[in-house]
Amino acid sequence: MVTSLSSRLLEALGPDIVHTSREDLTVYAYDGYSESRLPSAAVIPRDAREAALAVRIAAECGEPIVPRGAGSGLCGGAIPAQGGMVVSMVRMNRILELDVRNRRARVQPGLINLELSKAVAPHGIFYAPDPSSQKVSTIGGNVGTNAGGPHCLSYGTTTNHVLGVEYVDSTGAIHRCSIDDPGYDLTGLLVGSEGTLGLVTSVDVRLMVMPEAVRVFVAAFPDVESASEVVSAIIAAGIIPTALELMDKMITASIESHFHVGFPLTAGAVLLVEIAGAADDMAAGEAAIAQIARRHGALSWRAAADAAEREALWASRKGAGGAIGKITPNFYIQDACVPRSKLPQITHEIERIAREYDVKIGNLYHAGDGNLHPLLCFDRREARSVHAIVEAGTEILATCIAMGGTISGEHGVGHEKRGSLSLVFDTEDLAAMGRVRDVFDPHKLFNPDKIFPTGAVCGEVRAVPAVA
Amino acid sequence: MSAALEPRVVAPGSAADAAALLAACAREGAAVVPVGGSTLQSLGNAPRRCDVLLHTSGLSGVRDYLPADMTAGLEAGTTLADVARVLGEFGQWIPFDAPRAPLATVGGTLAAGWAGPRRAAYGRPRDLVIGSTVALADGSLAHAGGMVVKNVAGYDMSKLYVGSLGTLGLIVRANFKALPRPPAHRVALAPLADDVRDRTLAALGHLEIEPSAALIFDGFAGVARFGDAGVRLLLTFEGSDAVVERATRGVRSGLGKAGIPETLLLDGGAAERALAEAIDAYIDVPGASLTYRSVGLPSTAWSRTRSAAALAREYGLHAESVADVRTGDAILRFSAADVATFAAVLGGFDAALHRAFERTTVLAGEPALRAAIDAWGAEPSTIATMRAIKARFDPTGILAPGRYVGAI
Repeated sequence: MVTSLSSRLLEALGPDIVHTSREDLTVYAYDGYSESRLPSAAVIPRDAREAALAVRIAAECGEPIVPRGAGSGLCGGAIPAQGGMVVSMVRMNRILELDVRNRRARVQPGLINLELSKAVAPHGIFYAPDPSSQKVSTIGGNVGTNAGGPHCLSYGTTTNHVLGVEYVDSTGAIHRCSIDDPGYDLTGLLVGSEGTLGLVTSVDVRLMVMPEAVRVFVAAFPDVESASEVVSAIIAAGIIPTALELMDKMITASIESHFHVGFPLTAGAVLLVEIAGAADDMAAGEAAIAQIARRHGALSWRAAADAAEREALWASRKGAGGAIGKITPNFYIQDACVPRSKLPQITHEIERIAREYDVKIGNLYHAGDGNLHPLLCFDRREARSVHAIVEAGTEILATCIAMGGTISGEHGVGHEKRGSLSLVFDTEDLAAMGRVRDVFDPHKLFNPDKIFPTGAVCGEVRAVPAVA
Repeated sequence: MSAALEPRVVAPGSAADAAALLAACAREGAAVVPVGGSTLQSLGNAPRRCDVLLHTSGLSGVRDYLPADMTAGLEAGTTLADVARVLGEFGQWIPFDAPRAPLATVGGTLAAGWAGPRRAAYGRPRDLVIGSTVALADGSLAHAGGMVVKNVAGYDMSKLYVGSLGTLGLIVRANFKALPRPPAHRVALAPLADDVRDRTLAALGHLEIEPSAALIFDGFAGVARFGDAGVRLLLTFEGSDAVVERATRGVRSGLGKAGIPETLLLDGGAAERALAEAIDAYIDVPGASLTYRSVGLPSTAWSRTRSAAALAREYGLHAESVADVRTGDAILRFSAADVATFAAVLGGFDAALHRAFERTTVLAGEPALRAAIDAWGAEPSTIATMRAIKARFDPTGILAPGRYVGAI
């Protein structure tokens, strides 16, 4: 079967497009998650037609089809969990059409997120979703996970910026859908489906006009709890900044040692706040937020002087994942979400869990959205340490759910959390999703063993979580 | 609705009752048509059968509104006016921009897939939905999303139900992300004579502060009133007082340079009413008329209204229009002296209209005229997938059969 997949792909598309040697395939066995499995073949199509042909051949062979962007996902979404064919979209990385006047673009899925915003910047427009991985992650991958990022707070996530997609279905046929089409919103279903419904071969994105004015502030607080109270208070006051990020002492220290952007090292927590919009509103916006911060015991409040400093601050925040590597051999980044008023409570609980399991946990929140990224430090050479973070991570998730939260705010379910989906959805909820899966992919060839809980818990070895 | 017998009217009082009712109807093969405020029942085709009219009036209320979280769980039958009132007390809102807010319901607005003129500024209702509960034909209650504003756990099923016109299930509740309500609201009205139109449209593209809605009315007498002007421009600006003031200066200067001497300003409640009345008019049915919505690029909205008017003349029809130059919608209303006159040319005209513009669907109209044509035009290329979805969710075809695109 496997031989037939590789040989048929090679025959149809040639060795430039199809890779089958073990050394070539190794890179496609991994993403940002810890588990790995070698595919039988990796296909790197140059256009939708080649991608569709590959899908048709895999479908005829009954082999899994695993779409792959940059492989930067943290939940195993791009791992070929059952082997089969990985389709890497990296060669399809062009902007096909740019319509500045109507603020939209048609792009190929392998285009890197940041490259899109850079390319359209001269026209005064930008692509809003900005996951921290945006320097490497692709638009197609972002579509798969419905990626977020700091600026989703006011601009919304990927799904709010995708106007339509072209996709290859499970028979290898190419379709195009748009949110403006009459009929069911297939676009809305495909975004966030983590490659389980089809292979996206182009994306129509909405672009936004750059705000006239932008201000970024750094506020320091004695501890995470007081900082999270400020976040809840800002939202409760009806203020939606464009971004509102929280970092605790451990995170700011590691960022600071790497980026030197002037985060106060003595503070227990730092908020990075951005407001944007009309120039007229900036002074009042700053005053309102600064007042809330002071009322909750802010130690300091500083405005970034200029665009260069703003960019440096954001680059440092988005580089936190890399910087943290300096202070721990390994870390596991959890992704969960709670209602925004619950931030002080969840902060308290995470501190308790850290103590109870004797795990060092750094806190990095897209706080305005209630989206938490606790960073659990460990040393993968120590079994006890690995065990503790798995337990602690699970308890953090359970605690978020108990507060009305959910198991993933932006990273996706992937392979990692498929067992946890049933913590937030019952069998009727999952059955409705299963119907959609059945329609798009009746033979479950697209990215198997992702999102959905596996029927019986088999004796699989508990994974070592994402390692950076 | 063709049934010889009057349909049975039911109004379940809970989500569980609604689900049980759907299951019972599925067992009996009774066709169910969900009804909210009956404001957008003109969307889509008349269902082939209707044995049960399922009103959502018993499923109504703002249930889990947490102002500090800026999230709200709204039951399907809650009217948009009630939502605006309850959230307004906390300076928040959900910009539905749907017609007849005192009657229109949350469930109906979502099921209709309604998206109004200010979606360019605030997003569509679909973009603000963070969770949903839907009663399905097998009697199950399916939840999706939740009460958090960022959530990628499982498929985004709410997107599937929004715009499905009751053909997949009954939306019994939807959770929303609320937005801060802008403190100031101003409408600017201006006449748009032929000789200044192109310059004005160009000037709109250069305003420092973008209007949250920009509509050009041709006809639709009674709304966006400005003297006896035939073609009128309606702009809305929202934000802080300072921003609205600057926007006003920009509009006066920009429109003045384009050759428009006078702009009428409405503030606060008057501004809100002016926009609401304009949106209400989209679904008015004055006499023998038929209204379509053509969706397309903002840059072609105005030209589509002109092409449609020219086409109408060929068929002896009277044309009115709203060009929504921020979203790209063109609301196209055609009328004739009487139904028979319109009906005589309708087949050819409808076909020509669909040839001229893709994504053009019927929004409202005189029932006999609506019944004579398919509301949807050409089937999308993904119709087979849509039919398969329908078959999986409603295998016995009891939910608003025939109402949807491709006779789904």
